[in-house]
Amino acid sequence: MSRKKAVKAKGSSKSPKPSPCSGRSGKGLAAAAAPSGGLVYPSRPSISNSGEFYDIAFKVMLVGDSGVGKTCLLVRFKDGAFLAGSFISTVGIDFRNKVLNIDALKVKLQIWDTAGQERFRSVTHAYYRDAHALLLLYDVTNKRSFDNIRAWLTEIHEYAQQDVVVMLLGNKADSTHDRVVKREEGEKLAKEFGVPFMETSAKSGLNVELAFTAVAKELKHRTTKEPDEPKFQLQEYVDKEMRTAGCCRS
Amino acid sequence: MDGEVHRAAASWENGTLAPVDRLRTERADSPTPGLVEGTEPGAGQKSAMFVHAQSFEDLTAETEEARKEAEGYSELGKPADSTDGIEVLMGKDTISEKQNKKEGWQDSKSKEEDVSSEAWRSHRKHVFVLSEAGKPIYTRYGTEEALSSTMGVMMALVSFVEADKNIIRSIHADGYKVVFLSKSPLVLVGVSRTSQSDKELMRELQYIYYQIVSLLTLTQLNHIFQHKQNYDLRRLLAGSEHLTDNLLHRLDRDPGLLLSAVTCLPLASSTRDVVSSSLQAAKAKSLVFSILLAGDYLVTLVRKKDQFLHHIDLHLVFNLVGSSSSFREGEGWTPICLPKFNTAGFFHAHISYLEPASDLCLILVSTDREDFFNLSECKQRFLERLSKRNAYQALKDALKSPSYSVAQVGIPELRHFLYKSKSSGLYTSPELPVVYQSEEEEERLMGLYHDLHSRLHHATRPLRSIYHCGETENLMAWVTSGFELYLCFSPLGTKALAVSAVNKLLKWIRKEEDRLFILSPLTY
Repeated sequence: MSRKKAVKAKGSSKSPKPSPCSGRSGKGLAAAAAPSGGLVYPSRPSISNSGEFYDIAFKVMLVGDSGVGKTCLLVRFKDGAFLAGSFISTVGIDFRNKVLNIDALKVKLQIWDTAGQERFRSVTHAYYRDAHALLLLYDVTNKRSFDNIRAWLTEIHEYAQQDVVVMLLGNKADSTHDRVVKREEGEKLAKEFGVPFMETSAKSGLNVELAFTAVAKELKHRTTKEPDEPKFQLQEYVDKEMRTAGCCRS
Repeated sequence: MDGEVHRAAASWENGTLAPVDRLRTERADSPTPGLVEGTEPGAGQKSAMFVHAQSFEDLTAETEEARKEAEGYSELGKPADSTDGIEVLMGKDTISEKQNKKEGWQDSKSKEEDVSSEAWRSHRKHVFVLSEAGKPIYTRYGTEEALSSTMGVMMALVSFVEADKNIIRSIHADGYKVVFLSKSPLVLVGVSRTSQSDKELMRELQYIYYQIVSLLTLTQLNHIFQHKQNYDLRRLLAGSEHLTDNLLHRLDRDPGLLLSAVTCLPLASSTRDVVSSSLQAAKAKSLVFSILLAGDYLVTLVRKKDQFLHHIDLHLVFNLVGSSSSFREGEGWTPICLPKFNTAGFFHAHISYLEPASDLCLILVSTDREDFFNLSECKQRFLERLSKRNAYQALKDALKSPSYSVAQVGIPELRHFLYKSKSSGLYTSPELPVVYQSEEEEERLMGLYHDLHSRLHHATRPLRSIYHCGETENLMAWVTSGFELYLCFSPLGTKALAVSAVNKLLKWIRKEEDRLFILSPLTY
């Protein structure tokens, strides 16, 4: 309920976040060098805790209501497995690393899986401001988790960095029978707030890899791009990838 | 019970069998070693790791308040427990109350478990938590919604007695014990059909109370209910119900919770020393406790100088780690209140397994909520040092046999035992023999230990020793100022054999103490 109140106070008519893809300039190497929120950009490859080399590191945070599948999405992405069976709720924040190859660069994503429960809100707030990207999840079989997205976006606006990359994900897209939130509703909401959107399924693996890769591409692009280079279009990339993936699968 | 009991002489508790000075310097291995606290087998050599606990009595409200005052604990808004509360024993009245409850149960049905069913009623032990406004917060069985009227009745009982400036402690009727624990702003109620005493049940409710405080802090609890008396606390506790469920399960099964002690992974002292010193070296400014666990065994604990961990707090940490699988893969970072240390604030714990498939879990307790990366680095340093000094492999080898067989002691008629060193707050116990390995038998044996414990620590008639002959086993229990010992023998043994077995066992424990206990705890 506290989040609902927050929405009222902020006024939900106005988009709380500028789109990460919309007009902002001067995002070159200078931005990367600025000490904003602990961005790691070493001149030569570093070694992460797990002993893997990487060129750049970014912090990605998974947020959303309790039970929408944040941990499952992460486990699917990291280990390619689906956590079936009983519901395991995350305690506090869970940190994991994964190194991706993006355009010949090794990009380390430091992924913070947060607990959706209300009592951990204050802990997660403290980590918003260090995050470079936020994957905001709702559950397509749970209307309430979708309704709470506005409140989450308000919260993100309040605590996260101005230029944070936000992506809205409608998870559990495989559950056709239990679905209560239509794809179009998700798209509409994402458009209203100017954030890229896609539906995912940790169970089937649909778009899971793509969600993380797209975010990594966007972040990498921002950091390494020359001043006159065109901006990376996250939503366009996602749409294109989804289309090609779609025809490959069928 | 056709047993034989000795009344504890009042003067005995403080009496010694040898000059204290001599015993403190020389660790005796005479027939009954360590009758003096601090010299018993398993007693720490330098200083205790834990808050010096008066063991069981420690958990009863009166002594707790006194101890806290003595130690200068400050607790916010905590009302002093009245010590002159009476035990309300009601006959007829209770039955009529019960009927009221039954009516309430019939009104409400639940999906999970029908609270009006006979099955629901026949559970051995129920636990309910409610707010002072009578709002349900937790029930062990069924759903809270279905029980709101029952909990309303419970609150009515509490308020009714309170109106007369009195405190309701328990109701005994129809083979049930209903125990009330009022810990503003919460009320906890236990309903039990077991033979456990009120005091034991009260102690279990205390644990549940501390579990809730450890999730929210008492300050936050008070704050919430001061602002909104009819707040539904389940919102804040969402996702933690299994922690309370597990804790209740542990209270029935884990001897550590019964003994107010912790058991250690049997480990060569040389290996343990390396592990401890590696952990000691991997320190950070904000670190207060570094704890290495292997399942339910403590491997080592390093603490900040002058800061002590209470065994209850450690059990809550055990419970948190044991109830969550989310720490297996990554590194967890969570706020945790250690209520026996400070009910007002959160510590921040870095929790991670040394390897995803390993049972070794490292918990770094810090005061700084921004210190995650620092602590993550501490863990790396600890791991590096551990491998460099070849202790990691030795540790992993020790994990393959985390327990020992009672046969090692060499007493044929001895089946099982629990031995607790009072001064160190550590206990040791062999693995369960085959006869007690089934679920029911394990529960039955633990029940027997619970009974012995309850009789030794009786509120008005405490006992020093008990010998009990049963049909399926003979039991013996002995408490001294230095240790507590519970033994289970084959039913064919005699009392004389049992007494000689105790001496033999104590000698064996003395011989093995550096492997079974942590004798030299370290500080940063």
